Amino acid sequence: MLMDRNHIIQEYISLAKSLNGNVTIDNDTLHIIIPKESLVEIADKLFNKYQCDFRTCIGVDERPVNGYFSMTYVFTDNRNSLYLLIKTYIDSLNPSTPSIMKVVPAVDWCEMEARDLLGIEFTDREQYKLVLPPGWPDNVYPLRKEVPYNYRPLLRGTSEKISPSTELGVIPIGPYHPALHEPEYFELYVEGERVIDVKYRGFHVHRGIEKLAETRMTYQQVNFLAERICGICGFEHSTCYALAVEKAAKLDVPERAQYIRSIILEVERIHSHLLWLGVAFHVVGYDAGFMHMWRIREKIMYLAELLTGSRKTYGINLIGGVRKDINEDKKQKTLETLRELEKEFRELIEIAINVPQVKKRLSGTGLLPKEDAVKFSVEGPVARASGVNKDARRDQPYAAYKYTSFKVPVYTEGDNMARALVRINEIFESISIIEQLLDKIPRGPIMLEDFDIPEGKIGVQVVEAPRGGDVHFVITGHGKPYRWRVRAPTYNNIPALKIMLKDQPLADAPLTIASIDPCFSCTDRILVIRENGKREWLRITTGV
Amino acid sequence: MPSKLESIKKSIWVFHLNTGSCNACDIEILDALTPFHDAERFGVKLVGTPRHADAILLTGPTTLEALPKVINAIEASPRPRILIALGSCGSSGGIWHDTYSTIGGVNSLLKILKERGVDVDAIYYIPGCPVRPEAVLYAIALIKGIVEKRVKSVVLNAE
Repeated sequence: MLMDRNHIIQEYISLAKSLNGNVTIDNDTLHIIIPKESLVEIADKLFNKYQCDFRTCIGVDERPVNGYFSMTYVFTDNRNSLYLLIKTYIDSLNPSTPSIMKVVPAVDWCEMEARDLLGIEFTDREQYKLVLPPGWPDNVYPLRKEVPYNYRPLLRGTSEKISPSTELGVIPIGPYHPALHEPEYFELYVEGERVIDVKYRGFHVHRGIEKLAETRMTYQQVNFLAERICGICGFEHSTCYALAVEKAAKLDVPERAQYIRSIILEVERIHSHLLWLGVAFHVVGYDAGFMHMWRIREKIMYLAELLTGSRKTYGINLIGGVRKDINEDKKQKTLETLRELEKEFRELIEIAINVPQVKKRLSGTGLLPKEDAVKFSVEGPVARASGVNKDARRDQPYAAYKYTSFKVPVYTEGDNMARALVRINEIFESISIIEQLLDKIPRGPIMLEDFDIPEGKIGVQVVEAPRGGDVHFVITGHGKPYRWRVRAPTYNNIPALKIMLKDQPLADAPLTIASIDPCFSCTDRILVIRENGKREWLRITTGV
Repeated sequence: MPSKLESIKKSIWVFHLNTGSCNACDIEILDALTPFHDAERFGVKLVGTPRHADAILLTGPTTLEALPKVINAIEASPRPRILIALGSCGSSGGIWHDTYSTIGGVNSLLKILKERGVDVDAIYYIPGCPVRPEAVLYAIALIKGIVEKRVKSVVLNAE
């Protein structure tokens, strides 16, 4: 295994060298700096030949440091637990770089995000506005360092025209819709009862988190801000941020703290999956299932409160460790709660998943074939239900997962039922992981005292949230991150909805949208706006 | 509370308007409605359109993207019009009070509504980050007049 890994690292190095690249190795991360002419070629090789997983791309304004913009593309080699950061510098007077969308379709949104927020132009692709609200002034790019975080254009938001006229029937869903609890807008084009095309406009929840972290906050405060990215998977975000900074600064965090982090992460996974099952049952009209799922979920909420002092957005993570310990009493109560929960959940889910209407509505709807799942780099249960065997807990072990053994459920059907079954199995696995961790938890401190964070270091971390892999990318700065980029799993999963909704009955659309467990507040965190009051429609993707 | 609110005291139908929140408050609202806390025993119900709503629940700092839609929804709701600002972000804008893509808190929203000539009859604030389901229950009881308000409100505003 070790031989293999060294061998593959050598292959990556010679690949980069052959394209005039410069490689530095830092533990599990390969930093490859490449001229922009070779970008498409190296991305093609990594994604299509070596089958690396594309995670995200990050635009950085490095003008105060070296006078350039830069783009960094994050790939991971899941079989060898490697991160590959492909970086290219872009001239600041005429910021333009070739797009890699032809070879890596999943790059669509993150390139457009860099264009909106930093003003980097991408050639060889169709460009459109993605994140900023309509009416946002031209030539103001919020993530450029000279723009203050509280720059606020006077926008009074005139309502946009909903739909361009077309011969097809258009069914709008959202932005405020009883089946969706977050603002997002889907436009379904239908022929009779069948959906033939979908357009999506989201980014209603762009609050400017990244800019805030780079300007007004300090390292330790950003942990609490990261929790506010999402109210459901907040702890994943703060863990991911803390791990990325710890990796950049090479901090050795106490084992006990890592165990506690893993335990809370699994508690969060259980409550999130129970929540999703409830919502899915509600959408198919099985409200008894919804109420029961939420009833037993309340046990987990009280468990979270017992362990961390808070029902949500837990507030115990810091860089260097955690703030709350688990004592013997809490341990016993946790085990007791989990036993009760497992018994009740097993009983309930066997009934619920076999209710004829549930079975029929879930089976065979919202199909996502494996090739498309790979092409869009989808994450989490959506990927695992389509036969893509990836889970960051196993592939890029972080926190204390390397000390546990668990199964990663993978189904090949790719329908809504498979996505439900993946989540059901994961709940049982999570319960077993918490029991293993509580059994093995070592003694010792829970917080690293006294450490320095050097400037200009890069850390990138993937954390498996309930919805898929979160990616946090940090460049350290003076007292606060120089650049912090967050990529939530829904960001990669939404474009795949186009495939799932196509040629399906309209009645299944809300269920299929819910089946990716969308989390729009995570996805939208960086939104920005568009010009002349004219909204251009966001294409889910082109070239499909 | 003014007497015109008497008419809605029997069962309050609520339209949930997520104006850019992180979901935590939204999930706690659903939590308050499900069996453990069971706010439905007070006649509270989430409805699918603002036209059927007695109260509008605002969660989150209003983002620029959501603003026009939020105004439309509030305009569409019948009088008497009650707004409930939920959580730190809903009440004051929270940590986002001055970021580039929000308008910051319900106060700025009220100003914009006033410019548009949209009247608001009453506004309630539920604090917390996120709000606890118990706080939601307390607010319902307060609106229905089951409990007395226990804090005095003092308006501190530089303007």
